Amino acid sequence: MTHMKYQPTRARCGGIAAAIVLLCLDCPRAEAHLVTTGLGPVYDGIAHLALSPADLAVVVVLVLLAAMRGPRQSRWLLALLPTAWIVGGLGGLTFQITASLDWATGLSLLLAGALVAADLNLPLPVVATLAAIIGGFNGFSTGAALARTPHAALELLGILVALIVIVTLIAGVVVPLKAFWMRIAVRVLGSWVAATGLLMIGWSLRA
Amino acid sequence: MKLAILIFVLFATFATSAFAHEVRPAYLELRQTGPETYDALWKVPGLGQDLRLGLYVELPVGCTNVTEPRASAINNAFTERWPVECAGGLGGGRIHIAGLSATMTDVLVRLERLDGATQVTRLTPSNPSFVVEAMPSRWRMAATYLRLGTDHILRGVDHLLFVLGLLLIVGNRWTLFKTITAFTAAHSITLAAATLGYASAPLPPLNAAIALSILFLGPEIVRVRRDETSLTIRYPWLVAFAFGLLHGFGFASGLKATGLPQTDIAWALLLFNVGVEIGQLFFVFLILAIARSFRTLEIRWPRWALALPGYTVGTLGAYWTIERTAILLGFIR
Repeated sequence: MTHMKYQPTRARCGGIAAAIVLLCLDCPRAEAHLVTTGLGPVYDGIAHLALSPADLAVVVVLVLLAAMRGPRQSRWLLALLPTAWIVGGLGGLTFQITASLDWATGLSLLLAGALVAADLNLPLPVVATLAAIIGGFNGFSTGAALARTPHAALELLGILVALIVIVTLIAGVVVPLKAFWMRIAVRVLGSWVAATGLLMIGWSLRA
Repeated sequence: MKLAILIFVLFATFATSAFAHEVRPAYLELRQTGPETYDALWKVPGLGQDLRLGLYVELPVGCTNVTEPRASAINNAFTERWPVECAGGLGGGRIHIAGLSATMTDVLVRLERLDGATQVTRLTPSNPSFVVEAMPSRWRMAATYLRLGTDHILRGVDHLLFVLGLLLIVGNRWTLFKTITAFTAAHSITLAAATLGYASAPLPPLNAAIALSILFLGPEIVRVRRDETSLTIRYPWLVAFAFGLLHGFGFASGLKATGLPQTDIAWALLLFNVGVEIGQLFFVFLILAIARSFRTLEIRWPRWALALPGYTVGTLGAYWTIERTAILLGFIR
């Protein structure tokens, strides 16, 4: 009896990455960060990450990167990423910009995804710095988009809650993964995210 | 359970800006009385004695008021009734609520046709209009009430805080199961009784009592942390049942505020309650998953952080109790 092995071929990776990038670029940028749940601004903020694939992908890949290195790096990420995101968000509210920053989001995905795929034994300061920079930048982008809404501060608060919950839950799942094939699966996921980032960069430069 | 502290801090921050039971949707009922005629009922939440929310019904082109609306104000709600004539009927026409986009409330619309078929739709600030269906779907109506129930508990910060308080007190899974079941059973009883008109509780003292139930849990959480015991700690399901009866009246206020007609009330009640349970279970499982992840991440909380949940619950409970008692006594409006 032969066992079918799942091979993450280049064609499959490309197809999945293309699907993710289409999701990421699904809506016009101006609306990409604005979610209305009908439950008030805090819930709008909470729903923001779930309904913004590009931001969600950034968070997920950073959690994967930290969680693969164990609970210590995950704890640091849990403290740093939401903080950096909110500080960046407040900056975005203050210094509003109208230029598209999709290329930089793509760069974040490419960099973090590639690091997950490579599974390098990165020291804590490197992961922490990366989380602070990427979190701060994406927070800035979010804040700039939210500046047009009447309850932007409350929406940022909702985003903070969502970030803490998402980072906690994903890290809680990934940290205990010890099986070799699980690690391979996480690395494959990282490669998809990196490919998505590359496509996003190309797409935004072309536009 | 102690490790849900971080959630608590954030929760406390926005809880003060969110007032529980603010879920008072406006209600529009259009009952067909002839091929092209309807009786309209429009109920808008009041803002004190003389003011009301600035929401106005815009019926499809071709609809005209047969008479001027008859207005009345009862129980802090403004009601208008008037007959409408729509050339060709309402089917396919768009109904819009002007001013809804500028509020944070919802509008429940119920359209009853001559054959008894109904269409129920929930309009929100982001979706303030809808097209009347030629053939109404029962599934859509069910989904509307279900969503209303889920929304009510997710917006009801005081209900969630009470459930969180219970989670912080219970010691094991079996006790947790009994406690959540007791809370569910109790609030279902009073929700049904209040909605069907067998019992009632005036809103201002009810809100104060619900706040008191949260305040009550604060010291109990602190006792759990100090390894002390009490009736609540030994039998949390008992407390959950007793206070659950109060919270059920609170849930009923969300459903009764819509002024639903008796013909749909049992169906609406069931689905609304199921919606409440879905929201409640989602919240419980989310907190349990977060607590489990905190353990996996081996987070060592400082002593002050471990004490925070009890004091947060108690402080918020005290804040709401004082505020709502002041409203009850007429010191603030």
